[in-house]
Amino acid sequence: MISVFLLQWQRFRRAPFMVLSFLTLSVVFIGVMAGANTGNSLTIPAYADASLSETQQAEWLTELNRSDNLSFVLVSEGEARQDVVDGDSRMALQLLADDYRLLVVADDPARFEVESYINQVYIRELRIRELEEQSAAVDVRERLDGMLEEPAMTVSTASLDGGEDTFVYDGQLQMLFGMSLFFSVYTILFSLMKIVEEKQFGTWNRLILSPLKKWQIYLGHMAYSFSVGYLQIVLVILLFKYLFNFDVGNQFGLLLLITAVYTFSIVALGMLVMGLVRTPQQLQAVVPILATGMAMIGGAFWPIELVSNNILLAISKVLPMTYGLDALKSVSIYGEGLAALYEPLSIMLLIGVVLMGVGINAMERKA
Amino acid sequence: MLETEGLTKSFKGKKAVEGVSLYLDKGESVGLLGPNGAGKSTTISMISTLARPTSGDVRLNGKSVVKDPSAMRSVLGVVPQEIALYEELTAHENLQFFGQIYGLSGKPLETAIQHVLKLVGLEDRQKETVKTYSGGMKRRVNIAAAMMHKPDVIIMDEPTVGIDPQSRSYILEMVRRLNKEEGLTVLYTSHYMEEVERLCDRVYIMDHGSIIASGTKDELKRILSGEETVWIELDRAYPELFAELKMNEHIIQAAETEKGIKLIIPKGKRMLAEIFQLAERHQAQILNVNVQTPSLEDVFLHLTGRKLRD
Repeated sequence: MISVFLLQWQRFRRAPFMVLSFLTLSVVFIGVMAGANTGNSLTIPAYADASLSETQQAEWLTELNRSDNLSFVLVSEGEARQDVVDGDSRMALQLLADDYRLLVVADDPARFEVESYINQVYIRELRIRELEEQSAAVDVRERLDGMLEEPAMTVSTASLDGGEDTFVYDGQLQMLFGMSLFFSVYTILFSLMKIVEEKQFGTWNRLILSPLKKWQIYLGHMAYSFSVGYLQIVLVILLFKYLFNFDVGNQFGLLLLITAVYTFSIVALGMLVMGLVRTPQQLQAVVPILATGMAMIGGAFWPIELVSNNILLAISKVLPMTYGLDALKSVSIYGEGLAALYEPLSIMLLIGVVLMGVGINAMERKA
Repeated sequence: MLETEGLTKSFKGKKAVEGVSLYLDKGESVGLLGPNGAGKSTTISMISTLARPTSGDVRLNGKSVVKDPSAMRSVLGVVPQEIALYEELTAHENLQFFGQIYGLSGKPLETAIQHVLKLVGLEDRQKETVKTYSGGMKRRVNIAAAMMHKPDVIIMDEPTVGIDPQSRSYILEMVRRLNKEEGLTVLYTSHYMEEVERLCDRVYIMDHGSIIASGTKDELKRILSGEETVWIELDRAYPELFAELKMNEHIIQAAETEKGIKLIIPKGKRMLAEIFQLAERHQAQILNVNVQTPSLEDVFLHLTGRKLRD
């Protein structure tokens, strides 16, 4: 088993391009997408038509600009649209009397954060206005502001895991965990492809005829794919933690544990795929579909909390990526401990064991 | 030393190999001849314990290896038809790995590597990656990898496919030395008749999954002892002449060749005058006529009705 494992590393040393390219892609994607997701300097051009007076426009802008992370600037409609088209702005906001439109040229993950904020501002403002209309008092807004400054009772609401309807969206960590788990799928599955290649090119038979047991050969390959995938995820997280100061929390050991269990489940998924395909060419066609589909449904590209389709949510329940991301975010964002990880870790282990059993069985039946 | 009895292998109800019985004595070089699809590779897979026979048995020194293949695997070296090597690694690294999986390490491993590299004549280029080698050199490393654990028996499945004549000659000479000088027992499959004639003491001829003849080269040729081969070289193809010769009741076999027509006729039968008359009638220009005693190729043609490379 050790000799098969070391052989794969020796082959990696001679042909590292595939693994390094996925590592680089992870870093580039996270750097670009999460870097733009920090929210510190996101400026959004806003415009309105004649239905809003200049005073009303200014009032909305004042309310919207209470945010520390977002800055809204009033421009003409043409200018706002051109900015978005040219890529100078990632999105633009159209102000309406009691509604808004968000103009996004591409599917930008930051829009979830922006839209959530604008929505909050509008709901609050429209409630106050309704109150003003229904109340006989003339100074409702001033009295409300005064009450909010000195409330009779303070209610603190805390949610550990985002609860049913609320969740904490951290664009940086979403991208960091999502992209690193997503690209690791490619690395692991393409590393396992060596099993299919060995069977196709005849080296597998040489191994079978040697004193090595079949399980030792499989284990050698799986150990290599596990280690290369695991190292890739850990390296990316370390890089962004220490070089780009991403706040991944202070429980790095738990992150390593989650990553290990997730990697195991993806190796097991890979074994199933190897059992189903016959040639490396088939695998090259299957892997991108599988990885991208799993990332979309499992919440690597956008938070799973935003998905409302019941079918997609049901599918996400059998994907290791859903549980991997959930566990990583629980630890990093909500500061959860090991006790809260029993469920996602157990499910990933279960998925791993089942897929591996079915996968090896399928491979042996095919042989 | 090694024998099979009634080996049969079926795939989805279709028999790829049926009732193959053969034996190899220690130090012998035995050829397994047959055209593509004859069942040679399947037979080899069963003998080498890679495939389990549907029925029949494989015995090593009288002990069955079908249920417990470990005894066979420790004394067996297999040279597959494909280049079963890691092309991104050097020859030395490949051999190092194949030695390690047989438990070799340290100095014995390095000694074994240098020994097999010397056998295949690649000591000077051992540090180059296999993908930079010519087809012939890859084939030589392919053989070396099967020799790392010093097997007693080596099975070679068409080890010279797709290489230049010079490399082929080198490999054949190497196999001959392994057999004669190192005392290795060789089972050699090929569809190149001349390779088997050159290397093997005994030959099994396979067709359609079964052994149709076996024996020493002389014994096999004696099958045609009452016959002789007539090669007629013509200036071009004459289909009508060929058709008429084929229909001739005195001609046992007729086959078109690159340069003319090959006939197998009863020995002593005076047929040349008749052949010349026929050629005259078809206005065929005969460039050369050659009468030969039968070769293994003729035996094969006689037994199967087709040429080896059909």
